[in-house]
Amino acid sequence: MATMTRIASFCALVLTLGTAGAALAHHGWGSYDARNPVTVAGKVLTSKYENPHVALTVQAADKVWTVTLAPTSRMINRGALLEMVAVGRDISALGYPSTAEKDEMRAERITVDGKTIEMR
Amino acid sequence: MDANAPQFLVALEASGLGLAIRQSPWVYPAANVGHVVSVVLYAGAVATLDLMLLGVVRGDDRVASLKRARSWAMALFVAVALTGLVLFIAEASHVALNRVFQLKLVLIVGALVNAAVLGARAIRAAEALPDDASLPPSVRGAAYVSLALWIGVVALGRFIAYV
Repeated sequence: MATMTRIASFCALVLTLGTAGAALAHHGWGSYDARNPVTVAGKVLTSKYENPHVALTVQAADKVWTVTLAPTSRMINRGALLEMVAVGRDISALGYPSTAEKDEMRAERITVDGKTIEMR
Repeated sequence: MDANAPQFLVALEASGLGLAIRQSPWVYPAANVGHVVSVVLYAGAVATLDLMLLGVVRGDDRVASLKRARSWAMALFVAVALTGLVLFIAEASHVALNRVFQLKLVLIVGALVNAAVLGARAIRAAEALPDDASLPPSVRGAAYVSLALWIGVVALGRFIAYV
């Protein structure tokens, strides 16, 4: 009986921690302001087709943005190959500005040459 | 690249090794999976050890079981650390400035110090007592601390990507 009580209280502890965690992580892309989406459009200045996330810098009308895209495997699966986001390409990225890093945004989807690809 | 990070971490991230980890299609994902799998196995060994100290898990020959669980925990910690290092090198300058990661490191150091102190003392205490006797409160307390700290480490590890 004592063992059952211990097991039950351990499970309760794990559940509590797990639920708290799920609530905190609910939005997935923490520290991005999903209520204020921005569109960054312009030429790709630098392109890092790397893990854990592909990252570009894009010369927009107002400033140079760092645009964070998806992991390389997802980019490839969805047809957003290296040449699609290469330096010099014209890109439009709809996404959310970072609340932690200046001039950084995380793209929800990108459009290049009329082709739109989802990033999540 | 975050230029605000200590210079050696910026250099580490920019190194050929860092580049190789990021540019390989499989190294980062493999380290990611390897880290979680080794964490799961490590947590199993630590939980077995701590629950044995608390008398929740019992078996024949407590001292031998404790020593075996401790050996497994030590070996698995090496796997956890190596896979974690690969993930860290890829993004060293960013991760080092991440508050959650910093707190995670503090908890890891605390948990390792606790384990180093607890380990020797617990086995000495177990050797001096019959297998079914409760261990001293200091050992039991340290076992609770160990469980709490490692659960905290795992939780913080998960939250690094969300701040």
